Amino acid sequence: MEGRLPIRRFVQNNLVLMTILLLVLVTVLAEPKFLTVGNLGNIMNQFGPLSFVSLGMTIAIIGGFIDLSVAGIVSLSAVFTLSMIDVLGQGGALVCGLCAGAVMGLINAYVIISCGALTQAKALFITYGLSAAYSAIALLYTDGATQHMSYLTRPVTLFKAIGSGKIGFIPVSFVLFLLVMGLLHLFLTRMQTGREICLTGANMTAASLAGIPVKRRVMQIFVLSGMLSALGAIVLFSRITTASPLLGADYETNAILAVVVGGTSLAGGRGSVVRTMLGVMLVTLLSNCMNLLGISTYLQAVCKGLVLILAIWLDRRRVK
Amino acid sequence: MTGGPEIILSIKDVSKSFPGVKALDHVSMEVRKGVVHGIVGENGAGKSTLMKILSGVYEKDEGTIVFDGKTVERTTPVQALRSGLSIIYQEFSLVNSMTVGENIFLGRFREAGGMKGTHRKAKALLESIGSNLSTRQYVSELSTSEKQMVEITKALSFDSKLIIMDEPSSSLTEDEMKRLGAIIRELKGRGISVIYISHKLDEIFEYCDYVTVMRDGHVIDTRPAEGLSRAEMITMMVGRAIESEYPERPRCVGGPLLEVKGLNTRKLHDISFTLNRGEILGLVGLVGAGRTEIVRAIYGADRVRSKHIRINGCEVHIASPMDGKKHGIGFVPEDRKMQGLALPFSVERNISMATLSKIRKGLFLNPALEREMAQRQIGELSIKTPSPTTVVESLSGGNQQKCIIGRWLETQPKILILDEPTRGIDVGAKYEIYMLMKKAVEQGSAILLISSELPEVLNMSNRVLTVANGRITGEFDPERASAQEIMNMAIG
Repeated sequence: MEGRLPIRRFVQNNLVLMTILLLVLVTVLAEPKFLTVGNLGNIMNQFGPLSFVSLGMTIAIIGGFIDLSVAGIVSLSAVFTLSMIDVLGQGGALVCGLCAGAVMGLINAYVIISCGALTQAKALFITYGLSAAYSAIALLYTDGATQHMSYLTRPVTLFKAIGSGKIGFIPVSFVLFLLVMGLLHLFLTRMQTGREICLTGANMTAASLAGIPVKRRVMQIFVLSGMLSALGAIVLFSRITTASPLLGADYETNAILAVVVGGTSLAGGRGSVVRTMLGVMLVTLLSNCMNLLGISTYLQAVCKGLVLILAIWLDRRRVK
Repeated sequence: MTGGPEIILSIKDVSKSFPGVKALDHVSMEVRKGVVHGIVGENGAGKSTLMKILSGVYEKDEGTIVFDGKTVERTTPVQALRSGLSIIYQEFSLVNSMTVGENIFLGRFREAGGMKGTHRKAKALLESIGSNLSTRQYVSELSTSEKQMVEITKALSFDSKLIIMDEPSSSLTEDEMKRLGAIIRELKGRGISVIYISHKLDEIFEYCDYVTVMRDGHVIDTRPAEGLSRAEMITMMVGRAIESEYPERPRCVGGPLLEVKGLNTRKLHDISFTLNRGEILGLVGLVGAGRTEIVRAIYGADRVRSKHIRINGCEVHIASPMDGKKHGIGFVPEDRKMQGLALPFSVERNISMATLSKIRKGLFLNPALEREMAQRQIGELSIKTPSPTTVVESLSGGNQQKCIIGRWLETQPKILILDEPTRGIDVGAKYEIYMLMKKAVEQGSAILLISSELPEVLNMSNRVLTVANGRITGEFDPERASAQEIMNMAIG
């Protein structure tokens, strides 16, 4: 027992990594096509949008909340940014899109704070409601029509680069992701504001009584989550060159799945964006593998649900 | 221990280990029928572990337990209950959103004969211990002592032969304590045994027939309470003689430091008082009288209708804990787990929580500075922790409390607010906390002390204010006034 402990601990701490390796191994054996350059590039591309949204969700969850509004934010900021390209040019539209995400996050936080809904459950319902509102605004704004990048008159080279540009065989969006993740990691682990967000997530009452400006931190949590969702939206519509007002559907569940599978605790306080990257990898790989193995989409949804339940179960065991 | 009534519970050579700790080491004790059996010991002595084994939360590694003539190998909490062994924890296990009657027969409505039977039987049981609580009242509306009553009634409804009470008095007022005493005597009269776990030695002497002292996972001795002296008991508990439970009262009171005038909130009415430099000012009152509300309002944690605060003669505006901290107030809250600590975080992160700006260099937090700060407080307060990176949740209550105090000492507070600083802490750690208080005032801070333990306030304070129904009702010199006089004013 004593001798096996370090190995057990290593496996327990790196469960996600192990699962990823196992998954790759199984798929390669069953379907050699998996390892082709085309498929690997494909995986990294799929990785893009979800990874940014999941980074935002990680911050929300570490801060003690679950932000269900990301679906609405993705939809609205995508159609809004795309429509702004012809008005402001691509640089202006990009900034405008990110700001829209931040503003939506700010609205979330404002409503949560002014309703005194500073618990995970209450905030969950508020962001769920606001998500519906953002989605509805996206539908109203576009009259329900999908926006096409190819119909635009002004140049969209910047978005093309974000969406499908490559450095060598690595997609630009992936490089951008690594950059953002690195900054956020530094923010959460080494900066005062980041630490205070973690403390707020672990015990809001204690943080507040220790003189930490809790409400300001809640604002920052949701602004970051909103901005990163908007960034995810931009990466997404740039890759597929269209933006439907329903673009963000299901993003909240997939992001929560990735964050929790990565090992960030739903209890708040503990977690890391690096772990979330592994979580996103696992989720993306899982659907890629299942696609290659010809498993039906319905069954795939069942599998994803099972993985989420498994991850939450493991998280509970870790807490104990 | 031969003769006397028959034995209901016999524990022989029971051991239990957790990774890295031997929590119980060949523990043996016997509990007789119809007696109150006290168990005392410092935190970490193994009392809770032993009780959790009895109630089926943990499994023992070795040894035998015989309860009511039957050997118990493995048990679950439900089985233990059904076999007649109940345990009442400090944190009550009642459902707040259900009624008293429903709670008593929770999960057994059919056995009790439907809802009608439930309420009828619950009422009979409540009356049998002299309580006239309505069985239809919601538990969330009850006071702490009433909740305890419901817990005891629930234990009775299982026909319990042995009831374990874990720190039953920690949040009871004097009056409620008397009622608890009467109930314990009533249980005893019916031949029910009670295991009474408490840090308060007065209660042990008042209620218990036998006392078992535990230390470091061993039973040191079991003795009849009669003939045992307080000093002897403490010596057995800590393994060394403590000359006194309190250090000598610090005497370094200077001029006014904090002046509070016209503090009004929804619950408080016109609170005005002065706290002097180097003074320990005690606030005495019943639970719910408004003591905690006063200090929270001063610190900016609660909304107020009006308040005027002067620190060092200057009018200051404190609208939030952040402002409070900025003006040199430190706040150790009453509930250390819920309000004080970030439990999943390390000792050092809990210590640095209020002074993150001190360990920041440029944009980033400096881990070396943080470690240095933690080491400093661990050393000065002698916090017993394997390392600064240990998760604070795994420390004992006393050491957790020291982490919070250390956190505030780092801010070099002018005013330290201590709300129940020694609740649920063992004798040795209490003494250390008193020494810390003494040291703080000698260095020029002032302390506002709230405690439900009257002897603590009377022995540590330079001045005592009584609080009742949201008003300050009196001011006393604890060296002159009697405890009786002070309690009289506190009851209001």
